[in-house]
Amino acid sequence: MPELTDILFYAFAGLTLLCGFLCVANPFSRNPVTSAMFLVLTIISMAGLYVLLHAFFLAAIQVLVYAGAVMVLFLFVIMLLDIREEERRKLNGAAVGVGAIAVGTLAGILTRALWHAEPLAKVATSEGATRPLGKILFTQYLLPFEVLSILLLVAMVGVILLSRKELK
Amino acid sequence: MNYSLLSLEILLTLLGVGVLLGDLWIPASARKLIGYGAATGAGILLTYAIGSGAPADGTAFGGLFVVDALSNYFKGFFLLAALVVLLLTVSQSDTIKGYAEYCALILFATVGMLFAASANDFVLMFVALELITVTFFVLVSYDRNRSGSLEAGVKYLIMGALASAFMVFGIALIFGSAGTTNFYEIAAHQSTLAKSPVFLIGLLLTLVGLGFKIAAVPFQMWAPDVYQGAPAITTAFLATGSKAAGFALLLRVAFSAVPEITAHWSRLFLVMGVLTLLYGSFCAIAQRSVKRLMGYSSIANAGYLLLGIAAVSLNGSTAVLTYLGGYIFTVLAGFAVISAIAAHTGSDDVSAFAGLGQRSPILATGLTVSLVSLAGIPPMAGFFGKFLLLKAVAAHAGTERFFLVALLAACVGVVISLYYYFGVIRSIFWPRSVADLTVIPVDGATRLALILSIAGVFYIGIFPNSLVVGARQAAAGLAPQTAVAAKAPAAPAHH
Repeated sequence: MPELTDILFYAFAGLTLLCGFLCVANPFSRNPVTSAMFLVLTIISMAGLYVLLHAFFLAAIQVLVYAGAVMVLFLFVIMLLDIREEERRKLNGAAVGVGAIAVGTLAGILTRALWHAEPLAKVATSEGATRPLGKILFTQYLLPFEVLSILLLVAMVGVILLSRKELK
Repeated sequence: MNYSLLSLEILLTLLGVGVLLGDLWIPASARKLIGYGAATGAGILLTYAIGSGAPADGTAFGGLFVVDALSNYFKGFFLLAALVVLLLTVSQSDTIKGYAEYCALILFATVGMLFAASANDFVLMFVALELITVTFFVLVSYDRNRSGSLEAGVKYLIMGALASAFMVFGIALIFGSAGTTNFYEIAAHQSTLAKSPVFLIGLLLTLVGLGFKIAAVPFQMWAPDVYQGAPAITTAFLATGSKAAGFALLLRVAFSAVPEITAHWSRLFLVMGVLTLLYGSFCAIAQRSVKRLMGYSSIANAGYLLLGIAAVSLNGSTAVLTYLGGYIFTVLAGFAVISAIAAHTGSDDVSAFAGLGQRSPILATGLTVSLVSLAGIPPMAGFFGKFLLLKAVAAHAGTERFFLVALLAACVGVVISLYYYFGVIRSIFWPRSVADLTVIPVDGATRLALILSIAGVFYIGIFPNSLVVGARQAAAGLAPQTAVAAKAPAAPAHH
């Protein structure tokens, strides 16, 4: 009888691969927005894998930053570009070739690395937890953290200045 | 913890926020007051920083933030640059859209520079550099009705983001291999770390980020375009404050964190320096835009400064600091004139400066002093910095052929620079043809900024000792350097 975590791992891993595939090569739709949505699903399934690794903070950041902020940016760009032109574009032979080489090389490196890796006895659970991260941010790195607030203020002022229609 | 160590940074941040808020109550007709207020605040902090009010040496936030001779030396110059730049903005308070925010952003960039001068940790260094760079993204594209300014802003944004990516990746590798980001702790383990390729790659990537800030070859490509496109006042601050902040951090990383590795990499700095100064000098020859010319000149000057770092000696670092001090006054004087001309004629082409000697004697004097000092002619500030720098390089030339080559390259660079700097001076006093000989009005604030910078150029040129003593103290404060100092040749005689 497999454990629940094992079932969840295979479910999330399978979902990640499936959605990743549908993101780049969807046989039903060539619409970039659909691809972007599948990318969101890929990212969320990966967040699930992080949770299984006890990296709760990383999982939360993954959803907040990548599935949230970065994807909104992607969608903005897609909507600003002309989608029709993208739909008409046929597969580029050279690009497929380069992509295949890249995937092959990466797969080779990964299998080699995994083959030679010693199996871990136990996953370190404290890494990626929120508490030590918060602690270090508010003790050792308090000053850079505070300076960031000035940086955010500058960014905010700058965005308003550069994007507002009328300035006095 | 001793919060008084951060008094300058805290007060300057408050001043910046105060300027932002002050805009709400000050009527548009009295907008000049904002500029004067910000400049006065910066001036008070400057006298406080170089006077008795300077915080005593010490560290805060667990060694993250350090106050020493080096940080105090740089902070004085950063505040001075901010003061002069703020004075320059006053005459354009009606034409700059969002004037109060412009002043506030200059102050916030200065806060970033102050933190950079005191950063003793890779994390604080990164955050301070980002604060400077992000502020400059906005300052460069401030003149958003002019496409040149926006183009410069986008170029700076893309190149800056790329450089930041390199740097943060490098810092991650450094942290991964050293287990700490503190400069002193890294210095304590540097002999073991020097054998770790991951650490060395991390350090190289960090140098990429710093190389971008100081515009050294091969990370210089943004400088001419951004210098030319940005509003002249922004360029003035970019060429002085931002560049000096890059060198402050480069000195600290090179000589406080990893002095042993720097000694090994002396030739890397040397090659970079030679390429940078030759690139800047040769490309400057054909320029017609004075702002672009200053961009290439700024690249060339980064090259000379890198030679001083490559010398890896107390004299070399002292020369770098002295050179930077003189350079800041010199460039500020030059840009005070360029910004006045750009505001009056809307152009920075050499032809816009034709006959300046008759149109405005004070502007002509300012630009001439600046260019002559940049060319390294006594008794200007630029001469003494170059002299010390080449002397530090020459000290190694006898034993190492590389340094001899660098010395020759530097001499070639100086000769070429005479040509292009004097091309502009000739146009000022002996123009080929002058269409317009109307007088260019110069307001009080610009006049004050100009007089301040010219006086600085002459004072440092005639009494260099005042600066060299401070520079030597600051250089000696880069701790492990003192061991090298014993072997270095005796201090240069001052006249």
